[in-house]
Amino acid sequence: MKGLRAAIRVEARKAVTARVLQASALLLVIGTGVLGAALTAAIEAGNEQIAAKLGPAAATTGWPLMLGTVTQIVAAAALLAFGIALSWVFGREFTDGTVYGLFALPVTRASQTAAKLIVHFGWIVLTAAALTGAVTALGLVIGLGAPDTAAAAGLGRLFLLCAMSGLVAAPAAWAATLGRGPMAGIATTIGLIALAQIAAIALPSVSAWTPIAVPALWALRPDAVAVAQLALVPAFALAFAAVTARTWSRMQLDH
Amino acid sequence: MHDRLRVTDAVRAYGPGTGVLGATLRVEPGLVHALVGLNGAGKTTLMRAVLAMVRLDSGSVEIGGVPVERLHAAAWGRVGHLLDRPFAYPELRVRANLEVAARLRGLTAAAVPGAVDAAIADMGIGGYERVRAARLSKGNRQRLGLAAALVADPDLVVLDEPTDALDPAGVIALRETLRRRAARGAGVLVSSHHLDEVARIAGRISVMNRGRIIGMLDPAGAELERAFFDLVLRDDERGGTKGPRP
Repeated sequence: MKGLRAAIRVEARKAVTARVLQASALLLVIGTGVLGAALTAAIEAGNEQIAAKLGPAAATTGWPLMLGTVTQIVAAAALLAFGIALSWVFGREFTDGTVYGLFALPVTRASQTAAKLIVHFGWIVLTAAALTGAVTALGLVIGLGAPDTAAAAGLGRLFLLCAMSGLVAAPAAWAATLGRGPMAGIATTIGLIALAQIAAIALPSVSAWTPIAVPALWALRPDAVAVAQLALVPAFALAFAAVTARTWSRMQLDH
Repeated sequence: MHDRLRVTDAVRAYGPGTGVLGATLRVEPGLVHALVGLNGAGKTTLMRAVLAMVRLDSGSVEIGGVPVERLHAAAWGRVGHLLDRPFAYPELRVRANLEVAARLRGLTAAAVPGAVDAAIADMGIGGYERVRAARLSKGNRQRLGLAAALVADPDLVVLDEPTDALDPAGVIALRETLRRRAARGAGVLVSSHHLDEVARIAGRISVMNRGRIIGMLDPAGAELERAFFDLVLRDDERGGTKGPRP
């Protein structure tokens, strides 16, 4: 990979100043935290309508209730936020007209693609950490007390669910490349969310083997998922990273 | 010494009479070579082929004597280009954009500040260093794009309609920097619609029509416009082109 270090520096610099990335991370962290805390507080106060909407998770109390609620939100919201971010990171090169400047360089386009994805990975880890921190803080604010061992494990799973959602969004990068703009990536992200929901509801026995559905399933029911099934998530992301890099490498600018 | 650029019988066809259909040209060290032609003549497609943005159906492009498909990645660091839109990320400030362009062209961290200073001075955008590219006027964004193309002091410069949106001061700044670079041995390929302008800067002017180089113009010639249209008209008559030509 020629020029990977230079490409990572460039992509990190672009990411730091990108309002789309800042806004999507902020909305995910604050939106999820506040919504989770509000729903938990409402159920603890005896609101039956909200309890009915949340289903089995509402039968619990305290940290299990908070974590069950937040996990359900994050399962869809994190994939949406990271998918939009990834779509923008790749698609904006076309809509901003900067793609021409990414050709005829010592830094190969495979390196540029790898750098975009490496920076995306760093960003999802930071966002996941911020989300977990925010949920912990809001849990304390609404009076759930210090998390016990089980709650700490649940918070750990929430962090991993959030990070894995960022990996599962990888097809958005390829779609934004093929579609030469962010919209194709965003449409793909929405499709991924729908597929994950369908897999979890219609085909529960198969969903553990479905990379886009397994992170949420594992976060809610860790005993129902094997390590090998979770390992499909990074493999899935790497496969889409490889096809995205190949598409960028072979790309021609003739339309 | 090898030519900075040599294009031989290049073909990239998009349909009858469209694209590049057998173009041949050379850019030697120290030469500013202008490519002129009407809209749709194939100038931009030829430049895209030079920069490996499109692959040729047949023919060849060599940079420094090496076919582009075999050009080592590092060698692209010696090529500067501006095609289509300026390489400018709207959210980055002018200086940051140039630092990004310099890093992507393989400059070391230590070499970047000096190179960026020189490019800013060359294109006269010193007053905008801390302004985000999104806030620049079209002309200043073009200056930024040109500075990005020239930031790594390239041996080969490829610019498509570089004076678009530039004010007269910008045109002079570009002309002077290209002259200096050519005097130091760089080769420059520049396309333009403005015959007077290319006559002031180019050592050689190639006329492109229907995807081929159909002749040369004398930069010192008095009737540049007439000579240009004579060449185009004769070529159109040979090819049976009908259409709204002046």
